[in-house]
Amino acid sequence: MNKHFSVIVVGGGHAGCEAALASARLGADTLLVTLNISTIALMPCNPSIGGPGKGHLVREIGVLGGEMASCIDETCLQMKWLNTSKGPAVRSRRAQADKYLYRQRMIETLFKTPNLVLRQGHVTELLVENGIIKGIMLETGLIFTCEKLIVTSGTYLNAKIILGKSSWSGGPHNQSAATGLSDSFIKNGINVRRLQTATPPRVLDTSVRFEKLRELPGDIDSGGFTWEDRLRRYENQISCFLTFTDERSVEAVKRHLPNSPLVLENITDEGPKHCPSIDRKILKFPDMITHQIFIEPEGRDSRELYLQGLTTAMPPLAQEDILSSVAGLENAVILRYGYAIEYDALSPGQFRKTMESRIVKGLYTAGQLNGTSGYEEAAAQGLIAGINAVLALKNKAPYWPSRTQSYIGVLVDDLSIWDRPEPYRITPGHAEFRLTLRDDSAERRLIKDGYDIGLVSQSRYEKILAWKNRIENEIVRMSDLSLLPKTENREMLQKLNTGDLKKRVSCIELLQRPGLGYNQLMDLLEETKVLTDSDEIYSLETDIKYKGYAEREKEKIVQTQFLEKIRLPISFFDLKLEILSQETKLVIKSDKYDDLAQAVKKGAVSKTDLALILAVYSQKMHANSLNGEEDVK
Amino acid sequence: MYKPKIDTIAAVSTAQGRAAISIIRVSGPNTFAILGKIFVRGGKKTFPLPYSAFFGKIVDPIAQQVIDEVIVTTYLSPNSYTGEDIAEIGAHGNPVVVSRIMQLLITNGARAAEAGEFTKRAFLNGKMDLLEVEAISQLLAANTTTQATMALNQLDGLPSKFVAEIREKILKHLVQLEASLNFPEDAIESIDEYQVGRELRKILNELYIFLDNAKNGSLVSEGLKVALLGKPNSGKSSLMNCILGRDRAIVTDIPGTTRDTLEESILIASIPVKIIDTAGMRKPGDKVEAIGIERTLKAVEDAYAVIGVFDGSVIETEEDKLIIDNLKNLNKNVLLICNKTDLPQKISRKLFEGFKTVNLSCKEGTGLVEVFAALTDIFKSDGMANFDEMVLLGAQQAAALDKAVSALERAVEGIGKNYQDMLAIDMEETVRELGRVNGETVDMNTLDLIFERFCIGK
Repeated sequence: MNKHFSVIVVGGGHAGCEAALASARLGADTLLVTLNISTIALMPCNPSIGGPGKGHLVREIGVLGGEMASCIDETCLQMKWLNTSKGPAVRSRRAQADKYLYRQRMIETLFKTPNLVLRQGHVTELLVENGIIKGIMLETGLIFTCEKLIVTSGTYLNAKIILGKSSWSGGPHNQSAATGLSDSFIKNGINVRRLQTATPPRVLDTSVRFEKLRELPGDIDSGGFTWEDRLRRYENQISCFLTFTDERSVEAVKRHLPNSPLVLENITDEGPKHCPSIDRKILKFPDMITHQIFIEPEGRDSRELYLQGLTTAMPPLAQEDILSSVAGLENAVILRYGYAIEYDALSPGQFRKTMESRIVKGLYTAGQLNGTSGYEEAAAQGLIAGINAVLALKNKAPYWPSRTQSYIGVLVDDLSIWDRPEPYRITPGHAEFRLTLRDDSAERRLIKDGYDIGLVSQSRYEKILAWKNRIENEIVRMSDLSLLPKTENREMLQKLNTGDLKKRVSCIELLQRPGLGYNQLMDLLEETKVLTDSDEIYSLETDIKYKGYAEREKEKIVQTQFLEKIRLPISFFDLKLEILSQETKLVIKSDKYDDLAQAVKKGAVSKTDLALILAVYSQKMHANSLNGEEDVK
Repeated sequence: MYKPKIDTIAAVSTAQGRAAISIIRVSGPNTFAILGKIFVRGGKKTFPLPYSAFFGKIVDPIAQQVIDEVIVTTYLSPNSYTGEDIAEIGAHGNPVVVSRIMQLLITNGARAAEAGEFTKRAFLNGKMDLLEVEAISQLLAANTTTQATMALNQLDGLPSKFVAEIREKILKHLVQLEASLNFPEDAIESIDEYQVGRELRKILNELYIFLDNAKNGSLVSEGLKVALLGKPNSGKSSLMNCILGRDRAIVTDIPGTTRDTLEESILIASIPVKIIDTAGMRKPGDKVEAIGIERTLKAVEDAYAVIGVFDGSVIETEEDKLIIDNLKNLNKNVLLICNKTDLPQKISRKLFEGFKTVNLSCKEGTGLVEVFAALTDIFKSDGMANFDEMVLLGAQQAAALDKAVSALERAVEGIGKNYQDMLAIDMEETVRELGRVNGETVDMNTLDLIFERFCIGK
């Protein structure tokens, strides 16, 4: 068997799968090594993908040619729109996953992808020579060499399971932990830290009294995450259910608090902020009685139900006690107890936006190892790591989307300078340009990138381009149309409760009024409806509705992009920059940040110095643009 | 070669982003002498050294009071940004501390730098070429440090508290709104848009008053502009000299002598006033005069108030009538002066109907007291004497306040019309810009506040 690969991916979770697929699809001979081939693409925690921020990532992964979007579209149990009433910028799909089908489909995809080889094995050592990655060694002593290595070890590194006072070495979902690799990181100058996360108990479906609970069905017409599935109808969805804690549950938690790892302090405190355990919720908000508990299916053929909101690592008896206090779960039979897991992740500031290590050349890291939480965040990083490993292999310029252009860009930008103790999770709150980075604009923002990278086929590119042009041309056509204040028009508008018409009003202005849509407006004008698909009409209406806001956002986007184009460390040092303060000179010559935008964001450059750098660079940019060069390095 | 006398300048150049530190830059020949009076360094290192940082305290030498613990970085001429001796004082980002350090620097011999003055010096000392200077000065133009320093003094008090309070009020709603947008499935009570809208409208009205006070403050701090408008030889220039008590304008009997606008400052009832003598209004005789008339119109447009000047000793002309018509259509404070009352009066008083008119003889000095009294009345009725309520903002702060007000206006107008995600963007901008008005740290982590205030955990 071949012992040398262009790219090796360690780990078969959501980051590893995307990394391996991207690498192989871009033509690099790729090896994926994982602890257990049967648990590739495992979802060891919640059975869902998407939601505001996360759903945006999945959409973008789909546009760029990643796998998560189509995989969940094919295998979901339920698809639902969230935030529909709060506005297109925060609107997002959320799917309930069939954990088993998702894995199966992902494994099949991996097996049938050319250039990709799968191998089960426990990687225990990185082979590094002179600061450059050379390969890996397995527990068995087997050595594989490579040009580029992508490590996506998830929560497995030196993983420890904690349940009450007990703890033992082990990975999520009763897998084994990965040992050895952390030491190898440290030996090569890469620092690690401890993080933790936890999962709720799973209960037997027949032991839950659903009749007492509120049913939460999906949306039949939601469409899927991939462009191809945008109008897909999902029949036969499976519902989730909602129940609540009450005084009895809070009492039960309080009673058992002495056995909570949070109180015992036998676990690190650094866990995800957005999904605290039930014990943490009670400790932090002691007066809150009602906490939501979502009961979610894990698969069509699974008998297990996931209790979203009841995450805990309190001992088994405590978990049973708490459950029996919750309406509908009085007699619930626990199949798997909730637990916490503590694992090694990289310390902040050690990798670039490309996911390449700042310390070992040719080494890339992605996923929870990089200090994120969530399947979607992992997949997005895996995709970026896979793409960049191959670009570097081919000596091409690295790729990362700008934070002004996508949630993936926000993620890699934030993450590469994230220095807070808790894991990073994406939400619209991280995206300052979120009115531009809407779910419905994902194709328009990224399809060209996907095509240029090579993960989007010619035919797919042309189809999406035609779709994009249809919407954009129609917006242009509408800009020239206007409505006259004729009696019948005025009556019609009043009937639609959308204001009066005193003079000739442009269509753009009319569509910005509430209550008036494309179809009604075209009827009024007696114009042909060029757009008929609901998604196209939605995109058009949203674009027009957001016009003023988008233009204001655009000004800020241009400023950010300018700063992003000044890559650090600067490779040339203009003599004029000698007059900068000593601190600033150190910053822009060091390898701490990827670009000036990051340094400014971190407050590492004073205002005066920034003004000076901008003055020098705006001349240089101007000269470069005349020469057709994009970036200043 | 002629070398102008160079003094030592100082300015606040606050760092970008999450700035807990404010930098005060001092440049000039006396930099280290001034620092020596107010900076007590720790350690034994010789002060100053090229490119060196010194830890120590800023001490008020008279009050013997420690103002702040700081880090002073020194750069020795010619190896510095301006080419002169430079000290950068890194102090805590507290506006009170910063303004006290600025005051100390100034009382000990430094001068507050003009906008772009550091850059100008760098240019003069051959540190950059002119193109670069231009690019930089544009960027720095918004940061007039004298104004900022004045504003900091002002903002120690009530206005800053007011801004901080309304900022906090909006932020509270924003955090709840953001929580419901970011975590839709957590049981966060969604905001009552209309109720929030009513509160925002109330805040907006308060901000309008604040904005007015800031505008008055800005007008008064620059000096209220009062333009003299009249036909040639109506005696505008002698009126100006009369008001100022000295010969500033060239006075001749030849009409049209004042071809440019002249500007002089004076205090009237403690209010700084700029009297602007215009070239007069008449059909232009030559090119120079045409330019003069154009400037007259511009001066009238820019003025806070206009004094119409008429020669009482001659019968009114078409030009006088034209001026009256102009003044009638002007939406500004107007005062008429009937000049040359020492001569026999031929002008028709009907011309002045509807205007407050004062009779004046520049030659005899009668009526001058009445002119001042009439101007004072105008200023007072407009609130220009209410210094207590006035707010002085720097250019950057004023721009931030304007942005905050427009963002809040958009938010209020969008209630019931726009989506909540747009409302959140407008509220976020309002809060951010209000932070800039107060010079608070602009980086507000809404997500942190969400986790602090709400139990997120779906």
